[in-house]
Amino acid sequence: MSDSTGFRRAQVAVMYLVLTTAIASGIAIYSSATTFTSLLQTATAGLFLPILLALIVAFMLEPLVSLIENRGVHRTFAIFIIYLLFSAAVILLLLLIGPPNWRGMMQALKADVPRYISFAIVYLTGLLELAQQHFPFIAHYNLGDHLRNFSQELIGAILVQTPRSAMRIGSLLILVPLFSFFFLRDSRRIMRGLISLTPNRYFEMVLDIYAHVSWQLSHFIRGRVIEAIIIGLVVWVGLALTDIRYAPILAVVAGITNLVPYVGPIFGMLPGITIALVDLGVGPQFWWILCVYILIAQIIVDNMILIPILISKVSNLHPLWVILAIIMGGKLYGILGMIIGVPIASIINIIILEIRQYRRTFNLYNRYFSSRGKML
Amino acid sequence: MNPNPFWQNIFRNQANKQTLAYFLSQVPMFSKLSRRELKFLEKIVHIRNFEADEMIFSAGDIGSGMYIIRSGQVQIFSIDTNGKEVEQAILEPGDFFGEVALTGTRPRTAGARATTASSLMGLFRSDILEATLRHPAPTAKILFGLNRVLADRLHQCSQQLELLQAGATTPEEPHNE
Repeated sequence: MSDSTGFRRAQVAVMYLVLTTAIASGIAIYSSATTFTSLLQTATAGLFLPILLALIVAFMLEPLVSLIENRGVHRTFAIFIIYLLFSAAVILLLLLIGPPNWRGMMQALKADVPRYISFAIVYLTGLLELAQQHFPFIAHYNLGDHLRNFSQELIGAILVQTPRSAMRIGSLLILVPLFSFFFLRDSRRIMRGLISLTPNRYFEMVLDIYAHVSWQLSHFIRGRVIEAIIIGLVVWVGLALTDIRYAPILAVVAGITNLVPYVGPIFGMLPGITIALVDLGVGPQFWWILCVYILIAQIIVDNMILIPILISKVSNLHPLWVILAIIMGGKLYGILGMIIGVPIASIINIIILEIRQYRRTFNLYNRYFSSRGKML
Repeated sequence: MNPNPFWQNIFRNQANKQTLAYFLSQVPMFSKLSRRELKFLEKIVHIRNFEADEMIFSAGDIGSGMYIIRSGQVQIFSIDTNGKEVEQAILEPGDFFGEVALTGTRPRTAGARATTASSLMGLFRSDILEATLRHPAPTAKILFGLNRVLADRLHQCSQQLELLQAGATTPEEPHNE
């Protein structure tokens, strides 16, 4: 009797121990996993932008490095030559035209932004009143308030972010060249190492698909960046012919927003048109600016010249996907996510299309061969 | 007694690397390459290890390159109308196969299987294409060597064909060179 109760007691003790250790280790694993992911998140938080920029820089410089490497120069040395040439060009440019007056421009912009936005509010309220006369049911939709709140937030953000973003730009100036140097030098080795992990049966397929995808990707990224730079230059030259202020900043905005198809160019021209309306009023200069944005930059240069040359049809995304990519990118990474969401969606699209096309040819040949093989 | 497998692996890899260029220089296709070009070739090829009886590719697979046998043994076979395997050849170290697929995306015309554990060096189209852009001169020499061996084979083949034709017209006296 006492024996059996003692046994039972031991059993209970063991049960108790096992259960507590199980629960404790479960909690420990769970909490360590969550802290681990959160640690990972905080550790990689600031790295997204520099790595992205470094990848883009590496993709842009790759042809130049290959060109020098062709002449029998070692790759590392070739990269150094490119870096040297680049920094020399930047220094020469700075010496020739002097450093741009960023500080003054920021100060002026800080003073001017409220003016432009209040103008836009007045203009939009006028529009709203006009609309309310025709459609009385939208009477209590107060667009002006929304816009005013938004503008206050924007100004606050500019005031707070300027010193912080200056720090970030400083760190980017160090990190991006460093990362892109290693990407340029070792990307082939890294990718070969990764591909060599695939099982024998799929090795050839993976190697082939990788070659296709990387070719498409490098062309796509190069094409998009060159397109953005040329659009920015065209807008800059076009705006510099008028009396409009902030032509360089507006050109940068136009170039960057041009990375987003369909919607991007519209948002890219909004600030320029607002500033033109406020400072210059509706006149010949305003129409010229509108013409530069829509007719010259978008229709003639982009749609008629650049897109047919630079961007292959493979990377075309359905407008629905574009909108989804913008929204999802915005949710993930804010404005930066909105801009790069569409290119990243296009990249995923390219990868899927290449794999599908490869498999289609694969199946086609397979069928062709087996029917031939049976006949032989 | 047994050294640490970790270190053993590292040193074995090192030894592999040291002998890879030497092995490549022994392959007739690459016999005319200089030491530097062999070093370059070393960077293009992929080393793939197969277990005994592992398929390397089967007939009808989309092919993207050729293999050179470094060690082990490879059986080339085709499948006849009844679905039975017919052995075409047994290849030994130094032999190569699958070179037809190197020039264009084509289905493999026969299957290949490693009969013993083998180490193969794969030379693939995408790598060659990329190498032509970056290092045209050595790549041209590699392709030239491949071309030479293929031309030799073609020559042999046409000679044998002539032989067969001669044999078909006059079956009494086989033509010997």
